[in-house]
Amino acid sequence: MADIDSSKSLNGLLNGIAQKVYYNNSEITEELLKNELYPDLSQEEFHVLLEKMKGLLKSIASADMDQVQLEAFLTAQARKQGGGAVSAEQVAALSKFWKSQRARVRESLLSQSRWEPGLRGLTWRVDLPTSASRGQPVNAPVAVVELEMGRSGEDSEFLCMEFDEAKVNQVLKKMAEIQESIDRVVHQS
Amino acid sequence: MADRTSFLGGRIPVEVEIMAKHLKDLDKDFFRKILKVVVNAVEGKDCRDSLKSLADNGTLSEEQLSHIITGIHGLLKEALRLPTSSLKQEIFKEDLRELRISEEFIADFASVVFGNRRASLEAAAVEHGPRLPTVEDIRWRVDVAISTSSLARALQPSILMQMKLTDGSSHRFEVPVSKFQDLRYNVALILKEMNDLEKKSILKIQD
Repeated sequence: MADIDSSKSLNGLLNGIAQKVYYNNSEITEELLKNELYPDLSQEEFHVLLEKMKGLLKSIASADMDQVQLEAFLTAQARKQGGGAVSAEQVAALSKFWKSQRARVRESLLSQSRWEPGLRGLTWRVDLPTSASRGQPVNAPVAVVELEMGRSGEDSEFLCMEFDEAKVNQVLKKMAEIQESIDRVVHQS
Repeated sequence: MADRTSFLGGRIPVEVEIMAKHLKDLDKDFFRKILKVVVNAVEGKDCRDSLKSLADNGTLSEEQLSHIITGIHGLLKEALRLPTSSLKQEIFKEDLRELRISEEFIADFASVVFGNRRASLEAAAVEHGPRLPTVEDIRWRVDVAISTSSLARALQPSILMQMKLTDGSSHRFEVPVSKFQDLRYNVALILKEMNDLEKKSILKIQD
């Protein structure tokens, strides 16, 4: 196998693992990866390679290694005695992969430990009631707000509410308090 | 006949017409009692007991009574729907005269629609109108995830929010910091829009 092909296959394998393990893409299977990337390897040889790469990625991801840490880690892995050593080609592929995927993998790992539904987005509208079936509407704008939220991997739920100006002001004040609280934490670390 | 349409609409609601007929030989004091009960009902008060005492009074048959109540309710509903700027007291009285309602009763109706109870009737209407729930209470907590089963050092702040709504429901959700900025920005924008709107003349629509 030419070098260029081999590094391509390795990149494919790392991305395949990321899809399967971190991005919840269930279409990626071990068999698919083997047939597409390493048709020449035996099932067993492929399995060993796959597990090795998975293990390395897991170590890198769970420590959320930065560039320096990664280099040190891979150097140590390459010096290992016996068949478990990481080849120069694998070192290059892992570095390249991690450089581009670190943030996304981290985000995915964080979301794995979130159990409450997360806020996904909001849409809003400011209305002016002009007439009503009963009585005369108050001459004041009303904000209609819809929050979109959901647990990871599940469909969104929508929550619709209305606010008068005083309520919006109240909520905004709460948010300033929250911001202060976040700033205290973030600045200390 | 004036070429103006009655505040009750081009076609007078049947219940109002029937009520007007029944009012002809109704005792004035009893009418006032009925009117008071209906006004209370429009204000959203519990009127079961007072209705029952009206029925037990025996002055009217149950059928007559229900015709009158329905008519009064329909009439008040239409009259209160219109702002006092577009339905003047004189016009209101004139329209009731068209229905051959006696002057005494017209004065009573007018005192409800244009009197000092108007404000509380309008407040009740707003309260009972269709509306979405609003936030009653927000509780929050800022968490920093230190370490998780899949990430050795997460150190990621996030906000846990719990909102209690006026419909009694309660919602708990997590807001990542990036989404929180988005949320805060939008709430500020809403407030600005509402402030701007109040300055514009659109709020001073008068007919």
